[in-house]
Amino acid sequence: MSRRVFITGIGLISSLGDSAAQLHAALCSERSGIARNQSFDIKGLTCQFAARVESFQAEKYLGSINLRPLNRSSRLASAAARLAINDSGWTPDALAQENVGLVLGTMFGSLRTISEFDQRILEAGPTYVSPLDFANTVISAAAGQAAIVHKLRGVNSTISTGPTSGLQAIAYASDLIRSGGAKALLAGGVEELCFQSFYNFDRAGLLCACNKSHCAIPFHPQRNGFVLGEGAALLMLEDEASISQRGAPVLAEIRGHASGFAPQTDDNDEAIEAIARTMQLALSDARVDADNIDCISASANGSIDWDRREAHAIAKVFDGHSGEVPVTAIKSLLGETLGAAGALQVASAVQAMGDGVLPGISGLTQLEHDLPLTHSTNCNQRIDADLTLVNSIGFDGQCCSLVIARYERTN
Amino acid sequence: MERVAVTGVGMVTSIGTGREEFWPSLLHGRSNVGPVESFDTRDYSVHNGAEVRNFDPERFVLKLDPYQVGRASQFAIAAARLALIDANIEIDRLDPHRVGVSMGTTSGEPREVERFDDNNVANTLEQVGSSFIRRYPCNLIAGNVAREFSFGGINVVIPTACAAGNFAIAHAFEVLRSGRADLMLAGGSDSFSRITYAGFARLGAVAPEICQPFDRHRKGMIPGEGAAVLVLEPLSKARARGVRVYAEVSGYGLSCDGHHMTAGDGEGAARAMSQALDNAGIKPDEVSYISAHGTGTPTNDRLETIAVKRVFGESAARIPISSIKSMLGHTMGAASAIEAAACALATLHDQIPPTINFSQRDPDCDLDYVPNLARDHRVHLTMNNAYAFGGNNASLIMKKCES
Amino acid sequence: MSFVVFFRPAILRKIMTNDEIRAIVKHSIARITSISPEEIADNASYKGDLKLDSLTILEIAVDTEYEFKIRILEDELSAIDTIEDTVNIVQQHLSAATSG
Repeated sequence: MSRRVFITGIGLISSLGDSAAQLHAALCSERSGIARNQSFDIKGLTCQFAARVESFQAEKYLGSINLRPLNRSSRLASAAARLAINDSGWTPDALAQENVGLVLGTMFGSLRTISEFDQRILEAGPTYVSPLDFANTVISAAAGQAAIVHKLRGVNSTISTGPTSGLQAIAYASDLIRSGGAKALLAGGVEELCFQSFYNFDRAGLLCACNKSHCAIPFHPQRNGFVLGEGAALLMLEDEASISQRGAPVLAEIRGHASGFAPQTDDNDEAIEAIARTMQLALSDARVDADNIDCISASANGSIDWDRREAHAIAKVFDGHSGEVPVTAIKSLLGETLGAAGALQVASAVQAMGDGVLPGISGLTQLEHDLPLTHSTNCNQRIDADLTLVNSIGFDGQCCSLVIARYERTN
Repeated sequence: MERVAVTGVGMVTSIGTGREEFWPSLLHGRSNVGPVESFDTRDYSVHNGAEVRNFDPERFVLKLDPYQVGRASQFAIAAARLALIDANIEIDRLDPHRVGVSMGTTSGEPREVERFDDNNVANTLEQVGSSFIRRYPCNLIAGNVAREFSFGGINVVIPTACAAGNFAIAHAFEVLRSGRADLMLAGGSDSFSRITYAGFARLGAVAPEICQPFDRHRKGMIPGEGAAVLVLEPLSKARARGVRVYAEVSGYGLSCDGHHMTAGDGEGAARAMSQALDNAGIKPDEVSYISAHGTGTPTNDRLETIAVKRVFGESAARIPISSIKSMLGHTMGAASAIEAAACALATLHDQIPPTINFSQRDPDCDLDYVPNLARDHRVHLTMNNAYAFGGNNASLIMKKCES
Repeated sequence: MSFVVFFRPAILRKIMTNDEIRAIVKHSIARITSISPEEIADNASYKGDLKLDSLTILEIAVDTEYEFKIRILEDELSAIDTIEDTVNIVQQHLSAATSG
């Protein structure tokens, strides 16, 4: 028997605020999280911009615990977890009695911690490496640290599927609840900005090259790459029994999802096919048709090829109706937050459905020629949305799609 | 819900690549622990490891360029290829969109980050070039397997460190049970890493010479490397194909201590075991063999023994429990995948591998650890335990498939 | 949050008094745990008084080794329970180094 999966709380730390409401307001007013990158030396690099979570103070969310063992990823994830736990009304006593789990998506874990630990070997010798840093070199460290901070003793899993990790983690968690393997889980993703990943993305030619902060505009004819961001977002997911038992508020429902992979990333047709198939399978899993979808949160982030492929895939699935389904792409203002992206998209979508407003794609004054998405615009759009499709697509061929439903009390 | 069968196993290990080499080596108690060769350990407090020697990626990586992918990916592809052959899979007859890959790892491709760091420290970063992003991210371990065989189904890496293999297999089990795929390649892979070696050495967790799980004089683990992949498919399909079934995956348990990043507390381990038994619908005394996490550190082996006794009660004394890390060292994210493959082989052959290097009983470790000699044993149900940083615990249960 | 001065000696003198060693050790602890040096008793025990876990205790030990450019052996490490133990071990290693 398949249990239903509900979202009862959202916690997030982003370059645009630390709540879904703040994030939504920022997106709707075109406030950007992208700024000139001053957190590390970017001399000689193509991309001069990043979407950093400025002035992040973990103490604000975690109180007076010793933070030294927690690196940035662990602090971001733990802070988002705190907010999601508060938002969903789980008390410390209740957490102590139930084994609530955590499924965290991340592409790199903390490449900075791994690299700094290794650099110490080279500079000072293996005798003087840091044991606390070593514990944080595993990609699953942030999930482990957050579990210690919040006493989360259920399933503790980390999902790494590149830029789709956050959405994939939510998909994984949903299935655990559906099958009865868990009653309540925090699910989402985290990624920290660091020199090590930034440098290498830039050298790979994936980041945008321009001298204006507003350049990684999804679907725009002059786009030439994405801007890196960071953040964390976690959703509290629960089954019906858990909600009734706690009398918890419900924000939305996860109806279905699917994942796939495009093995040949330089094959355009295959990539479009993989994205389209994944979307279609997500719709089937949710037992809805394309016609039932009221809006789409696209993964598009300013990548030349992948934005185009997603647009064509949407057109395929929505069969000519794609011009009518409003599409947003929040990475226009958040940047590409990798492991956190899909989870931030879900948080934003839940807020958008509740508010009845879909944020416009900031900076999209022109659409790339022949892109079949006439309902993508830089203007906010009024929506009366029951169902949203969220896409997460990686430049390495990963595809994940998820269907969220507005929660109706009569259901 | 579909029942899930293991129909093929493939592995790359320091004592054999492929089951024809690996299984006899395991039964004969072979071990190739020796001085680390992949980097200079002169400044380290310890020097031994269990590296895979003479691995030729060109034998197994046939579609992709073997030198364009990292070592952990090479291992994963090799293990996958061997598993697919072992399962008698005709790849051309598969619907590639219904075949997924679920892999575990601890470090991903550490040599890439080591190369970056070498250059960063020497101020020669330009030598790193543009390939890091196309080689390093750990999701490429599953991605490269899918690229080698053109599989387009779900593609996931679960990097839950020393328990990753069990997590990846459990996930593949769920994917198949829910009908999201027709075939899953599941396992784990890790390549030898100075980061991992230095870290464990600094924790005082590395033995100076050999790995002696549960022995009174055990001094720690021996870091290693390797990979294993299992082919999992619905039992109904396996029977329709007429392929030999090793075992059925019948349940698992995942828990978190929520207590300490590197030291388990035993309570979470016991919970994972109990959950696995519940999940599989079996009673503790029905288990025929336990593949221990058994790293050889004083603490793990003692706490694991306590946890086993807590869960199994009086039957603990009768159930053989061995640690193949005694032979392979600790292969990190590959460990529980290799151990799962060993459980599958044990179930098929009714033989259990030993814990080697066992010479003196520890009063705190008083179970039957199958010391030094493999044993014929009717293997009906196996439990495979794995414990990782972050207090992560995973237990996997397999059952013999009576035809 | 109190402001802690992180003191790293520019020149490491090989001959140091126990008080000097203790001050450096306390600053290590402060850097790693956020407990300020004033709150740390001269002979506090790491587990009992400061309530530190094994990983943090090891971090302090490694930081101490780094500060004094010494290498503490495994069995010496496991014998350290209090700050005084650390001070004594450091003094032993420094004296051995100067007596060369």
